[in-house]
Amino acid sequence: MAGIQWERDFGSAMEKARQTGKPVFQDFWFEG
Amino acid sequence: MNTGPYSDEKVQRFVHERFTPVRSECFWDNPTPLMQKYGIKWTPTFLVHDPEGKEHHRFVGYVPEDDLFAQLGLGIGKMYYDTDRFAEAIDQFRTVIDRHPEAGAVPEAIFLKGVAEYKHTHDAKALRRAYDALAANHPKSEWARRADPYAAIPL
Repeated sequence: MAGIQWERDFGSAMEKARQTGKPVFQDFWFEG
Repeated sequence: MNTGPYSDEKVQRFVHERFTPVRSECFWDNPTPLMQKYGIKWTPTFLVHDPEGKEHHRFVGYVPEDDLFAQLGLGIGKMYYDTDRFAEAIDQFRTVIDRHPEAGAVPEAIFLKGVAEYKHTHDAKALRRAYDALAANHPKSEWARRADPYAAIPL
């Protein structure tokens, strides 16, 4: 695989989750 | 972007097969609305939400692959448990316990599996079995102490 294809917009992720029925895995991160 | 446990292809496959993954960047000097909404005080912080946006599980701090698998599996199990889908929750907790026996999330999975089995079958022996498993394999864990009252349930 070419890595995890992360959504960047939480609203878009939730919309996708509702469409697919898959839960959301949210990673809060900090680029120090 | 895909460093640490995310560099593992099995992790990548698991995340895509079971989740909608989203990354939310944090800024400490100007917290984002999402940071404020979810009370994010440290990174990394990981949340599992159901498709309706309800949070069911969170964990804080770096986790290696095995712990990440177990935490994510526990999160799915808790999502089922919280929504009274006990049979699915039991299967999910069992998967965490069987596939990642050394992971830190396992004692909680054992405890919740016992409770979910009790709620699903109304057989209190499930709680005693959870206590026995915790006492035997994770006797110093907080979850073993939480299960202590179930020691008196006869098998």
